[in-house]
Amino acid sequence: MVITIDGIECECEYGEFLRDIATRCEIEIPALCNHGGLPGQGCCRVCIVEVEIKGWKTVVASCIYPVEQECIVYTNSDKIKRQRAMVLSLMRARAPASKEIELLCSKFGASRNERFIEQEGEKCILCGLCAKTCESIGSGAISTINRGINKDVSTPYDEPSEACLGCGACSEICPTSAIEMEEQGSLRKIWGKAFDLVSCEVCGKPYATTQELDRNAKVLGEPASRLCDVCRRKAIADVLAKTFGS
Amino acid sequence: MALEAISKQEIKSLIESYENDRRHALRIMQDMQRIYNYVPREGLEALAERFSCPVSSLYSLATFYRALSLKPKGKNVIKVCDGTACHIRGSANLIGSIGRELDIAPGETTEDGMFSLELVNCLGSCALAPVMVVNEKYYSKVSMGQLAGIFNKIREGEDQ
Repeated sequence: MVITIDGIECECEYGEFLRDIATRCEIEIPALCNHGGLPGQGCCRVCIVEVEIKGWKTVVASCIYPVEQECIVYTNSDKIKRQRAMVLSLMRARAPASKEIELLCSKFGASRNERFIEQEGEKCILCGLCAKTCESIGSGAISTINRGINKDVSTPYDEPSEACLGCGACSEICPTSAIEMEEQGSLRKIWGKAFDLVSCEVCGKPYATTQELDRNAKVLGEPASRLCDVCRRKAIADVLAKTFGS
Repeated sequence: MALEAISKQEIKSLIESYENDRRHALRIMQDMQRIYNYVPREGLEALAERFSCPVSSLYSLATFYRALSLKPKGKNVIKVCDGTACHIRGSANLIGSIGRELDIAPGETTEDGMFSLELVNCLGSCALAPVMVVNEKYYSKVSMGQLAGIFNKIREGEDQ
């Protein structure tokens, strides 16, 4: 099937999600709650686009919109620009401390909305991407709790969680840098718990927690590599170079 | 407050009376709520072990539904309707009076563990507004003057 996105023809399969197709065709659709490694959630609504089928136009969230028939997609029509700016200005009221949202706001011309009280110091937009990540890597230490205006992200009972490996994936994936992770020397603090960091055998940089490596070893069934990702990549490249010659 | 000690065995047999499938989590938690007046931490942990799922996902579920609570509720749960009809007929005043009478705010439990106060949405009996439900018993067109009497009666009933 071929669809048109912003005038560019894109080859795609039935049922593929619109944002994935656009990304593959190097058409940028902004998004906060969407990450390539996880299924779309459609909750931040920044990735909205206009889809035209047989002359009918609808606004959809591209990260969760499966393409089922030929269509024309507009990622930057006037309507989308207006609506995206509105979504962003609401988000800024929720999370005024987030630099990422501020940046998107200025990029898409979202004006300050005086009607809504800003939540001072807040960075989290409650998209739940962190909780999804934690669950999908198998820890499940954090989750969204409560609902409505009381919704939050937390460990059970707001206590340091036994399940937390201190891997920091939640902090890394957070689109608004809302999860604090402190690192000092070989000590890492996250979600109210302190972790000892293991240093890379080659470059000596602290790179992972003991708990993380123990879990990796358990999953792999063999001791996990004691190299940081940079050194590990180098080591693999060396092996490849030796095997195939330069 | 006087709470019956929670027996691990009892929780275990409750959990095992259901199939080992995560979709039963909510029903089991509802059972716990009925038996213990709250979802005890031991219960959540046992449930997580049974389903081999993270405690956090069950905690998320337990905090999502208002019908479940993580703190012990009082022996007598007072639900005051704050639907439109009841609201117009003065449910806000009623809530205030109950608060003064028992010294609790909505969502709280009295120190002696006798009463919990909850605000609920329309109970569907608008003709009886304002409506108050205590232990599934409906009190219609409640006036502030009646409150002390109602609560005393419930307390006496408990003593017997």
